[in-house]
Amino acid sequence: MKNRLRALRAELAWSQAELASHLGVSRQTVNAIETGKYDPSLPLAFSLARTFKRQIEEIFEAEITRA
Amino acid sequence: MTDQEPSPNPAEAPVDPLFTHPASPFLRTEVPAPVAYPSPPNPTPPAAIYSTWVTYRTQIEFGLAILAYLMVLVGSVTVVQANREADWRYYVALLPVAPAGFVIWLFVRALTRLDERQRRIQMQAFAFSLGASALLTFGYGFLEGAGLPHLSWTYVLPLMALLWGAGTAFFTWRYR
Repeated sequence: MKNRLRALRAELAWSQAELASHLGVSRQTVNAIETGKYDPSLPLAFSLARTFKRQIEEIFEAEITRA
Repeated sequence: MTDQEPSPNPAEAPVDPLFTHPASPFLRTEVPAPVAYPSPPNPTPPAAIYSTWVTYRTQIEFGLAILAYLMVLVGSVTVVQANREADWRYYVALLPVAPAGFVIWLFVRALTRLDERQRRIQMQAFAFSLGASALLTFGYGFLEGAGLPHLSWTYVLPLMALLWGAGTAFFTWRYR
């Protein structure tokens, strides 16, 4: 999944460590989500949406693949 | 304070001076002049410095528990070898199980503190460790049937631990 996490984090001028501390996850997990290596669970996605005061769809975008 | 406008030429534009008072380099004593390339308005404060105990508590506890296990193990083996006919030797031989149980408790507690990505990595590493250990032990079992020397089953756990460590390193690398 693509996401706008890095841009949204830059708007708040937060470091990855600060966002990770806010979400209760490790900094490496924030980095893995930002780089698209790891897709967060639904509860973590909702936490991200609450943190940035956005809808989940405004943060994450599914990459459409043919089944 | 000066009211000069920033120069349009980037090569000639003044940069934001860090210190303006020659006698007190750590204090800014006047409002800086407007510049073309100012410092960020709110520099983020440096990250809090935690003590080694807070940062590496789990690793330190784990290391101390392993050390306790090794000490009890060496003591137990020494005492049992010196008292091969004593009735109580079975109890002494079992003593290392207590610190080993403490190690396992610390390990399980550390697993519950992981976040979801780290738990996934551990799940993949355990699955790899279990599968690879099964393949290796069964493979060697067949080789034993063909004539290779018999190995003690106590090698299985160190083999699983080794494969788990390798799996953790590999799957952690995949998420980087």
